[in-house]
Amino acid sequence: MLSDSLIKKLEDAAGKYPCRKSALLPALEMAQAANGNLLDRGDVAEVAQQLGTTTSQAWGVATYYTMFNTSPVGKWHLQVDTNVPGMLAGADAIVDRIRKRLGIEPGQTTPDGMFTLSIVEDLGSCGTCPVIQVNDTYYENMTPAKVDRLLESLKGGVMPPRRDAGAWGSECGILLKNRGNRKARSIKGYKAGGGYAALEKARGMNPGDIVEMVKQATVKGRGGAGFPAGMKWGFLPKDDPRPVYLICNADEGEPGTFKDRQIMEYDPHLLIEGIAIAARAIKAAKAFIYIRGEFGWIADILDKAVAEAGKAGLLRECGIVVHRGAGSYECGEETALIESLEGKRGVPRIKPPFPANVGLYGCPTIVNNVETLAVIPFIVQNGAEAFKAIGSPANFGPKLFGVSGHVNRPGVYEYPLGTPLMEIIEAAGGVKGNLKGVIVGGLSVPILTADEAKSLKMDFDSCAAAGTMLGSGGVMVINDSASIPKIALRAIRFYAHESCGQCTPCREGSAVIARLLGGLVRGTGTTKDIDTVLHMCDTIMGTTLCPTGDAFSMPIRAMVRKFRSEFEALVK
Amino acid sequence: MFVTFNGKKFPVAEGRTVLEAARDNGLFIPSLCYHPKTGPAGKCRACVVEIEGMRGLQTSCTIPAKDGMAVTTNSPKVLAAQRLVVDLMLSSGQHDCLSCEQNGSCELQNAAYFLGIERPSFRVDSEPDFDESSEFIYRDHEKCIQCGRCVAGCNNTVVNEVLDFGWRGHNTKVICDDDLPMGTSSCVQCGECVQLCPTGSIIDKRSRGQARSWEVEKVETVCPYCGVGCRIALHVDRKTNRIVRATGVEDAPTNQGMLCVKGRFAFDFVASTERLTTPLIRENGNFREASWEEAYSLISSKLGEIKTKHGADSIGGFCSAKCTNEENYLFQKFMRAVIGTNNVDHCARL
Repeated sequence: MLSDSLIKKLEDAAGKYPCRKSALLPALEMAQAANGNLLDRGDVAEVAQQLGTTTSQAWGVATYYTMFNTSPVGKWHLQVDTNVPGMLAGADAIVDRIRKRLGIEPGQTTPDGMFTLSIVEDLGSCGTCPVIQVNDTYYENMTPAKVDRLLESLKGGVMPPRRDAGAWGSECGILLKNRGNRKARSIKGYKAGGGYAALEKARGMNPGDIVEMVKQATVKGRGGAGFPAGMKWGFLPKDDPRPVYLICNADEGEPGTFKDRQIMEYDPHLLIEGIAIAARAIKAAKAFIYIRGEFGWIADILDKAVAEAGKAGLLRECGIVVHRGAGSYECGEETALIESLEGKRGVPRIKPPFPANVGLYGCPTIVNNVETLAVIPFIVQNGAEAFKAIGSPANFGPKLFGVSGHVNRPGVYEYPLGTPLMEIIEAAGGVKGNLKGVIVGGLSVPILTADEAKSLKMDFDSCAAAGTMLGSGGVMVINDSASIPKIALRAIRFYAHESCGQCTPCREGSAVIARLLGGLVRGTGTTKDIDTVLHMCDTIMGTTLCPTGDAFSMPIRAMVRKFRSEFEALVK
Repeated sequence: MFVTFNGKKFPVAEGRTVLEAARDNGLFIPSLCYHPKTGPAGKCRACVVEIEGMRGLQTSCTIPAKDGMAVTTNSPKVLAAQRLVVDLMLSSGQHDCLSCEQNGSCELQNAAYFLGIERPSFRVDSEPDFDESSEFIYRDHEKCIQCGRCVAGCNNTVVNEVLDFGWRGHNTKVICDDDLPMGTSSCVQCGECVQLCPTGSIIDKRSRGQARSWEVEKVETVCPYCGVGCRIALHVDRKTNRIVRATGVEDAPTNQGMLCVKGRFAFDFVASTERLTTPLIRENGNFREASWEEAYSLISSKLGEIKTKHGADSIGGFCSAKCTNEENYLFQKFMRAVIGTNNVDHCARL
């Protein structure tokens, strides 16, 4: 039974959205929190009724997202991210330590009901992994010794405070200008550094002129696809009676990517200023920040900053709602994100129609990545030419590169587009050991061998010319101690876990490839299996409803083709 | 307008998708998630084709046909993709045609036949997972290909809002309410999901093992239960002269294939030994068989007697929804004009 106070909270949440069903994810999260971290069936049905949706749809949503517990978990839910960056940083040793200490396997709960151990997918902590998420709190840079201390503390009922962590560096001083300035998190501190001047300037500008300026600057989208933001804005229908929505994609789930959280956590007002300007440019009625649910504390920071900005009268033209996801990689895809924001399962829609025409609630919608929106204030303040002065031809502006894996100082580094990859890796302390390969744009892009990586420049066109993609700029450095087949297996297991299940090649194809690679790694595979994997990747490319099929076919294919001898060596 | 399929020109009506245009012209493109009633879903990916001027493969179910379009449905690339999709469906779950109720009318089987897939290439583990809790509907999750037609039908066609998808990835499963067994869920057993399922995943429970699809003759008739007049196809096994199952007729303007629980599943009475086949007259507390002439003259004389003795309003008439509109009309006319009373009612009003 939902308590009266919970129903009131739920109603408050529903009131924030143009459509009540949008509050389904937050409402389920509230119901779960109020019930000792467990979703009760009766509560789900009540929430469904309260929000005017069906029980089956609510249960479909509850079982879709990983952050909802439909079966009991212990008092302390230990969630270890073993995805590729975690794997390279020793996450498996962390899992082993917990298994030994607690005597449970992943998926199990200790008999006293105190601890549950789960293996989870990328938590967006690639530069600070291994990471354990205990209930909602991240513990980063873990070592087996730290695991012991954490478990002791939890046994005593004490949750240690979360520590700020992560190395960073900034060559451009635009996106990370406030990374080391704690005061900038408050509106006062942000304004003291010249913040919100760009919004002020934008308010004096014609919306069309702002769009034109961003078009001129040629801001290629920073989320992964690299589609120019200004051009995207230009796709909005003219003289349309429907409201326009702006969504900031803060779902940051691509393994190897942990850049957007640097902006949101340390410089939230920079993002809010960018959103406010973009909202003015496209005449948005409302803006949403869709942030992955695991970043709960960052969402709190954003909530506070939005409230401050609202109080200061900066959001009069367009309010901002911070919307928390609930655990789904797929929701980083813009149409799946829109579905999720409508309170549904995060399954992508068929395009066309594109969101600019039919998006959130069937209205024109623009979805932009955090980093894309965060460069808008610089462009408005300094002009398109100043932006284009940074970077390389046709690839302008600063870019955040998250460097993880086998480097000495993993972290986020801001460099102009076109900076040599090796310079960025040097900034991250250089390669640990001998370089074997680099995945330069998040897990979904083809791996480069050490030779291919050597002379690469980090921009969209150079990466494409090298047969890979800049993607999100999540650089994973791999030395010769790592096994590429194991990386490939871990990667495909991730995609199989995250496949929304809607279309056949992705849903079943990822599961079959995972099985074949699993056999090879276990030593029961055959040479034919290697060819079958390649055939499947070739065929799945371009056959799926959304880009996820390509997102696993491309990297797996590249790993098998470029490091085939490692796969063949596993055939007995 | 005209669309070229594999180099040959075909006439196509306005407003059709590429898949519909192909079907209109008798061309087969495998497709499993599309149904005219639930619309294009673009999910199963079995209907991918190449279209000149468009990059990569396109789902023919979602692309509107345009004049002059050139479509290729038989290139190696198209067939490889279609084959992989259908092969993956066959590999996942348990598609054992031998004793499947849908054998012979299964769309997955047809696609496999067309593409020449003799046996699944991959092994995907699955556990028996079925639901026989409902009175009339049997669900075998291992035969489900997640096409979503049942979910779309339940939510958008009949709007009973019972079914949806739960979980995700390979574990995606069609659920009733909060994953209740169908028999204890809010399902009213209209059977629209049975009607729409392309495989043997959701079937009429009582028809299992009764007759192969090619052994039955489909006899179209009008549902006898109420005045809506839904068109219904009775699947009759001529050997035993029994109705094996009933389905809704998809192109019927009244019901477009939809039926209610009675129309779809309650046809037992037809072959019931309890069914009355001649009039019965009660004498000394016992019934005896009589001819229609004898029965009618008895009714006529008794009604005449009552009317003379107690007046016309001492008589009431009650008619049935199982009669046609015309019969009901005649009955009220009889009560008013012949008997002379307004005491007439109908069971559908209760």
